[in-house]
Amino acid sequence: MRQVLIAGTVGLTLIVGTVAATLAAWPIGREPAKIQLTGDVQRGAYLARASGCIACHTNFEDGGAPLAGGAPLVTDFGTFYPPNITTDPEHGIGGWNVEQFAMAVRQGIAPDGHAYYPAFTYPFYADFSDQDIADLWAAFQTVAPVAESAPSHEVGFPFDQRWGLKLWRAAYLDDPQTEPVEGRSDVWNRGRELVRGATHCGACHTGRNLAGGRIANAVFAGNDALPGGNKAPSILPDVLAERGWTVANLSYALQSGVTPSGDVFGGSMGEVVQYGTRYLSKDDLRAMAVYLLDSELPEEEGMAALPVSQPIYD
Amino acid sequence: MNTKRNTKRIFAGVAAIGLASAALAHTGATGIVKERMVAMSAMGDAVKEISPMMSGEADYDAAAVREAAEVIGMHAGETMTRLFPEDNENEASYVKDAIWEDWETFAELAERLHSYSEGLALAAENGLGSSQDGMADAGAMMGGGDMMGSGSMMGGGMMADATMGREELAEMPADAVFAMVSDTCSSCHTRFRTEAK
Repeated sequence: MRQVLIAGTVGLTLIVGTVAATLAAWPIGREPAKIQLTGDVQRGAYLARASGCIACHTNFEDGGAPLAGGAPLVTDFGTFYPPNITTDPEHGIGGWNVEQFAMAVRQGIAPDGHAYYPAFTYPFYADFSDQDIADLWAAFQTVAPVAESAPSHEVGFPFDQRWGLKLWRAAYLDDPQTEPVEGRSDVWNRGRELVRGATHCGACHTGRNLAGGRIANAVFAGNDALPGGNKAPSILPDVLAERGWTVANLSYALQSGVTPSGDVFGGSMGEVVQYGTRYLSKDDLRAMAVYLLDSELPEEEGMAALPVSQPIYD
Repeated sequence: MNTKRNTKRIFAGVAAIGLASAALAHTGATGIVKERMVAMSAMGDAVKEISPMMSGEADYDAAAVREAAEVIGMHAGETMTRLFPEDNENEASYVKDAIWEDWETFAELAERLHSYSEGLALAAENGLGSSQDGMADAGAMMGGGDMMGSGSMMGGGMMADATMGREELAEMPADAVFAMVSDTCSSCHTRFRTEAK
């Protein structure tokens, strides 16, 4: 219901300019407290891998420099170019401080105060601790500067109106729910933290509404309209089990790309493994598998199964 | 230019999906497309046979690993690339046009698969390595300290140097060589295979 209202509001504001002005002045985000922790480069690099920073902000296929800007993401809203986040002060994030970095990663807000498009998966990083941020920051300092900006996003009206993102945030920005659940094992909770947080499985494996918001009761139910025409299958526990996934073969697939049927991931999942999950420890991969095969179901169970055709890896 | 290429790729991909689902994969394919599906399936079966050994789920069997490696090798290299002529039969398949636009990369990956699978056959006797965290330990993650410095880690997801000789591979633990084999599969699928079925 709230979403319908918001959608209506969006329509009206396109006509009523004064509302737009009000929105433009609407402050977003919370200024983070000073972060004075010492970061650990190895931990930060590990988290950067897990979180897909490197996968998304590096254009591997075209031989781009690490973190100098990723391959374009073609969506219904336009084409997004993951920016240069190397240490170059002008074209990258070399001129930022750690608090600005924290605000960008956890809250999706740029140093100049504008909101990032949710093509950047910051909603999943909201629960990163100050130590996580300090670690990431330390690791990012080791990246060679690249003095070239990524192209600007090519987004048409009305999505080029950045104030609209404030409405988007109000409607869809939810807590990632990565905190431990009492009564569950440490392994399961670690898996939950990774799956719902850093590794942001839900970014692709959850259906999105017309505004690009993830549909809350379709978590992990799959998405047949990924950027670039890709599809993501359901990763709900019963579907995974039905398709022959076990803790052992799922964690091995995240490490190697090899599925139980003897196929090897390609597409977006191939990239996820090649540039991300295969760098994770076996313990973490196992935790992810334990959680995925036993994840909480969305609250309104009846709505969970979207009419998504399931790609078959066998 | 990237966008243009991507858009083109999407159109090609969507067209391919439509046709492929109409043709219903294995049953609908004919001729050379069917031939390569059979070859890919044979490699898939070989991988399926030994991957549980590599992950520790099944008991290691050196002879089975050697045999599987030979099957993969048999279908790799030129045997594979000659199955991908650029003609309209491809409409009923999962191949992306990118394969002909970047034939050199495809041929190189196919050749790499050939030498890695030969290496795996030689390394089969070595059994599994002791490392519990293949990529994650050994500081391999980011080339020993600096996050994204070392070129080899960032270069197209390849785990090891493509020029690695058979002798070197023969000395490695079988699971490490198998990882190189499966990485090669994945790199190629990521670039050149339409995923949606």
